[in-house]
Amino acid sequence: MSVWSDTAERLRALLRRGRAETELDEELRFHLEREVEARVRAGADPAAARRAAVLALGGLERVKEDVRDARGTRGLEDLAADLRYAVRALRRNAGFTAAVVLVLGLGIGAATAVFSVVDAVLLRPLPFPDAGRLVLINERNSPTNTWNISTADLTAIEARQRSFDAVGALRRGEAALAGAGTPRRVGVARVTSGVFAALGVQTERGRLLEPGDDAPGAPSVALVTHPFAVRVLGGADSAVGRSLILDGIGYTVVGVIARDAGLGSLPIPAEIWPALQVPPPVRRGPFQWIGLARLKPGVSLDAAARDLAGISRGMMGLYADWHDSTAALTPTPLKDAVVLGASGPVNLFAAAVLLVLLAAVANVATLLVVRSAAREHELAVRGALGASRLRLARLVLAECAVLTGLAGLAALGVAALGLRAVALLAPDLPRLAEVGLHGRAGAMLFAATLASGIVIAAAPVAAVLAGRAGTGARPEHARAGGGRRANRLRAVLVVAEFALALPLLVGAGVLLNSFVRLSHVDPGFDPEGAVSIQVSLPVARYPGEADIQAFWSRLEAGVSALPGIGAAGLTTALPPGDGGDEDNFNLVDHPVPAGAAEPVSPWLYVSPAYFAALGVRVQAGRDFAAADSGNAPPVAIVSRAWANRYLPGEDPVGRQFVQGGCYSCPHTTIVGVVGDVKYDGLAGDGVAAYGPLAQSFSRTASLVAHTRLAPVDAFRALRQTVAGLDPDLPVVEATPADLLEASLADPRRWTAVLGAFAVAAMALAALGVFGLMSYVVRQRRRELGVRLALGAAPRSLTRLVLVRGMRYALAGTVLGLALTALEARWLAALLFGVSALDPVTTAAAAALLLAAALAACWIPGARAARVSALEVLAAE
Amino acid sequence: MGDLLQGTLELLVLKALTLEPMHGWGIGNRIDQLSRDVFQVQQGSLYPALQRMLRKGWIRSEWRVSDHHRRARFYRLTPAGRRELARRSTEWRRASHAVDGILRVRTAEGA
Repeated sequence: MSVWSDTAERLRALLRRGRAETELDEELRFHLEREVEARVRAGADPAAARRAAVLALGGLERVKEDVRDARGTRGLEDLAADLRYAVRALRRNAGFTAAVVLVLGLGIGAATAVFSVVDAVLLRPLPFPDAGRLVLINERNSPTNTWNISTADLTAIEARQRSFDAVGALRRGEAALAGAGTPRRVGVARVTSGVFAALGVQTERGRLLEPGDDAPGAPSVALVTHPFAVRVLGGADSAVGRSLILDGIGYTVVGVIARDAGLGSLPIPAEIWPALQVPPPVRRGPFQWIGLARLKPGVSLDAAARDLAGISRGMMGLYADWHDSTAALTPTPLKDAVVLGASGPVNLFAAAVLLVLLAAVANVATLLVVRSAAREHELAVRGALGASRLRLARLVLAECAVLTGLAGLAALGVAALGLRAVALLAPDLPRLAEVGLHGRAGAMLFAATLASGIVIAAAPVAAVLAGRAGTGARPEHARAGGGRRANRLRAVLVVAEFALALPLLVGAGVLLNSFVRLSHVDPGFDPEGAVSIQVSLPVARYPGEADIQAFWSRLEAGVSALPGIGAAGLTTALPPGDGGDEDNFNLVDHPVPAGAAEPVSPWLYVSPAYFAALGVRVQAGRDFAAADSGNAPPVAIVSRAWANRYLPGEDPVGRQFVQGGCYSCPHTTIVGVVGDVKYDGLAGDGVAAYGPLAQSFSRTASLVAHTRLAPVDAFRALRQTVAGLDPDLPVVEATPADLLEASLADPRRWTAVLGAFAVAAMALAALGVFGLMSYVVRQRRRELGVRLALGAAPRSLTRLVLVRGMRYALAGTVLGLALTALEARWLAALLFGVSALDPVTTAAAAALLLAAALAACWIPGARAARVSALEVLAAE
Repeated sequence: MGDLLQGTLELLVLKALTLEPMHGWGIGNRIDQLSRDVFQVQQGSLYPALQRMLRKGWIRSEWRVSDHHRRARFYRLTPAGRRELARRSTEWRRASHAVDGILRVRTAEGA
């Protein structure tokens, strides 16, 4: 047997199907003529001969069918015919088709978009060579308390570690870039050469940082990103060798970081990467570097952790300022650190989308089951005309295939739009730049489409195959029997839709609850009429404490003298969402046990007018005063929450503590108590301690002013005041009211997103139960008519329908409660002041869902009451 | 003889076509004649069989004018068809010989 002749014959049959059919006709006609002729010659009557000839052939149509089968193109031809038929049938029911394509397309599209996000953010490794070996190194004294490493840590690790190929330190921040137009703030990340060595990042022009650049006193050099080189330095080629002035210090650009280096995946919005020069440590702190390292091949995280813990033990006793023996250097996979905050919301989002997809599939499946039941008659006729069950099943399958194919196309558009929405809704999402409709997302879309197709096709195809549709045997009886079984399936789908809708409603409900609570939280300050500008003083022009203090005093005095400006004060951190620095302390009256970690509190440094400018009330003791200067005894003001936590039931004013582990310094005295300001977001606890700005060494501070002016005018006046003091200083403007508003943006977004999903799922569930009960009413018209004829009240028929529909809704809602418990885990992190399983919210969500179900059942219920007994019985 | 095995029908068609190209009705008629009506070809199964044999490359078909001045589809044997005929004939004879031998054996019950 030849493959060629086989293929050639099949192809010929397929491509020239019309001609093959004509030839078959002609060949068989010729055959019959010869046969009749032979029979007549043998003496038969012509009419009888013709009958006998056809009989001998065994039926003209049957032979034709057999020959068609023998051509071997049957499958393809039938498929084409089935698809043509399906398209025709779907076009006749444009509304049904549109509904299915829309519902399924939205479900699959949303699932694909969300998969792209999960894949890019959580699943794919960071875009560095062998990124699984990259770790962050932190100090840690409990699983939840970690902080940065210090110069002493870095020096010790570099000297003694055996687990890493490369170790580096970096600190991200901002710097004033001068000499290139208006002075402005740019993102910088100061790094030791080990950082690029660990990441495996290359330059496209010039050189990388080298160990020699890390040494104190080495020339100041920096790398720049490709976009910065193009935008500011006139292209990558001309960038190398150029000089940049950052915070008053000149840096030479020695290289341009390659465009595909993957630094964009890190939460470091830096355009300039200056070399970090690390002087020899004099004490254990301060802890200001992010430690980054690359594990040696084959070295496990545990082995590295043991190595680092050994180094920590070796450092105990070396520095007088350090007594915390529970703290140890600890490695964390870099990816975990990068995506840490995102995994909760992303998982929640993914779960919500998956639930909606499942509800959409369940709904479409219900629609198809109902539709296939409505077509029982048509299929029965086709069956009677000789179509096999297999053939009928293929017709139904083809229709499902066309539907899901269209839905898949729609999903592609939905996914593309969805990803744009993600970029708008979650601009802070880590690794956002890597999110896109890549190959894996395409595969996901295909798989989801295929799976949905299989699910929605399963029931109608199974019904046909089992002969429940299209048998043609006693339609009335078949309808009753098939109906009951199909109804059970439909009921299961409807129950599932309600079970899926409840967790989404509860989730949206508790998020809304949490959002409302959050927006009613007292921020602890009065944003009305307050404006602020932030200024950073570069070391080069303000080398000493005296220069810094002098500038702050002049700024405060200059602004206070402006017309229309009331109180104006300085602070190192602005509420909300700017936690500022932290410091450790040890109360003299209640010292921590020897060897235990000292408590750590947010710590701000403010000038005397700050509390007045922001409308924060001094509740006890006194405000800072001009007398609290650098030479005066150290003082502090604490928040009410601070006092309640660390000095419960005592009068905090007059208490003393050792600050920052400096046991040789004079004790700090608490002189006042102020209201709780939410620096750490509105959900924060308001615990904070304040020191006088004059007793600190802060190069960066915000000036807060209370003003009657419009913000635009106030900012112009403030900018002019700063420029009058130093024209090279960039100024960052903000109003506390905007900051307050921005701090609510995330909760509002999550509430809106989950709310939209919840409403969609509820609508799908209501649609599902509406479809099912409508079908049941149509199917049982006769029974309802008989009941009416026998004297049943129309209202009792309505109640019959409602009770049955609500039974499904109730069963689904109860099942949904179990799913809600699963969801709670992801929700908890997003909630404020309300539990993920808040009983009131849960009850309200369930009530809303059941109300929607009741409304959806009402229409078929009312229709049941309107059934005309006469009409139904007459139709029998 | 009732239903012909599919393979047997193909063998008979191949044999019938050794002499000259023939149309479908002619092939059926020839088989009836050659077997002295022992084999009555089911006419309905002949045409699907021809279609299958076309695909296997054993026969070719062409449209010609018949003796009756009518266009008819004629089938002729290809070289592959001839080889197939030779192979099938040998196989058939061996099988037939073997069956013959079995039927001639005397058994205890007597035959």
